[in-house]
Amino acid sequence: MSAHQAVDRQTDTAAHPPAWRSDRVLDWVGTAVRAALVVVWAWAGLAKISDPEAAAQAVRVYRLLPESLVKPVGYGLPFLELAIALLLLVGLGTRITAFLSAVLLMVYMGGIASVWARGIAINCGCFGGGGAVAASQTQYWQDLLRDTGFLLLSAWLLWRPASKLSLDRWLAAD
Amino acid sequence: MSTMSQKNTEEKRNAREQMLAERAAQEAKAKRLRKLGVIGTVLAVLVVAVVVGILVMNNRTTPYTASQAPAGTIGANNLAIPVGATNAPSTLTVYEDPRCSACGYYEKTFHTTVNQLLSQGKVQVHYHVVSFIDSHDQGSGSKNAANALGCAQNVGKFHPYHDVLYANQPVESDDAWANRATLISLAKQVPGLDTPAFESCVNDNHFGPWVTAVETDFDKSGYTSTPTILLNGTSAYPSYNGTDISPAELIAAVDAANKGKPLGTLTPAQSAALAG
Repeated sequence: MSAHQAVDRQTDTAAHPPAWRSDRVLDWVGTAVRAALVVVWAWAGLAKISDPEAAAQAVRVYRLLPESLVKPVGYGLPFLELAIALLLLVGLGTRITAFLSAVLLMVYMGGIASVWARGIAINCGCFGGGGAVAASQTQYWQDLLRDTGFLLLSAWLLWRPASKLSLDRWLAAD
Repeated sequence: MSTMSQKNTEEKRNAREQMLAERAAQEAKAKRLRKLGVIGTVLAVLVVAVVVGILVMNNRTTPYTASQAPAGTIGANNLAIPVGATNAPSTLTVYEDPRCSACGYYEKTFHTTVNQLLSQGKVQVHYHVVSFIDSHDQGSGSKNAANALGCAQNVGKFHPYHDVLYANQPVESDDAWANRATLISLAKQVPGLDTPAFESCVNDNHFGPWVTAVETDFDKSGYTSTPTILLNGTSAYPSYNGTDISPAELIAAVDAANKGKPLGTLTPAQSAALAG
């Protein structure tokens, strides 16, 4: 009797292909992950564009780049972040955008780890602000932990870029 | 006949399979092209965004030339405000943010001593009015106050107004000077400062580009906090040559540095411009 039931259940599952059902769910998960990263990158970008001098200073205090590169990088990064947000919003080239998102996050985490290791006290300037702070005001491990979370979101899309409500799906290019 | 029909069926099947395979190959090729197109579009969007961004940000920086500085400022690009005798034997370089509470504490402890050193012709002070607290704690009070100090400098009343501002400094988290009217009402404590010209200078952010240039100069200096106080180029606060500095020790340090040198002589205008 119980063996019979087991067989029945198998047949039942086969009638509704689980692959179809989980694909649908995972596609919506992809959409949610995209939305979360859109918020992160749009917020990060918008917070930096109001004050060019502050944007440059946020880069300068990492003491990683020569002065000649401080302004181009400080001015360009917010717009790179906004472009990533835009691409994720429309869902175009989700995998390569997720790759760039992950690379950018790893660059940021490397920068934060580097200032931490060198004993420089700064605000990471991740969401605007930036600049030197008192040594007691640094939040490096919180910054790194948060960025790790964002990195995991990017990794999801890198692994499975397919999602609902995306241009990739509409163009059948995913 | 029957073999003929069998052969026909087989041929048909082969042709059909071939057609299907071709169609699949074509579809795969089309999809590859679409993917390449998407990747190209993504890269183009990113490059355009960054290039446009750099141009936009560059455009939004306020261009600054030394002629935009308040009258009487000195140094490279007129970023410093001198107070005291030009020929004083020692120079005290002071980087202060109007909103910075540590600067308020320094001023409270040292301003009487510094004013005494100034009036005796022992030092000239070079003030750099920086304004980074605004981007730290949000707000606009530092920049407003720095501009107002520039307006005061422009009419030779920087130093007394500087002392009035620090004596009435709000706590760092309170951006009271975001309201320019507060800065104007404090100017009433300096005789002759609160004129219509001063008020419009404060309200129009007249020395805004200079304020930004002073801050950028500080950003590039490598000094990371305020107050940064240098006695003849050597860091003098909170410690000088390894020992914590008090007002008495500052006087001793200045006297030691001035040993054997004649004191500076203040012009009447320089005397009149001193606070207290």
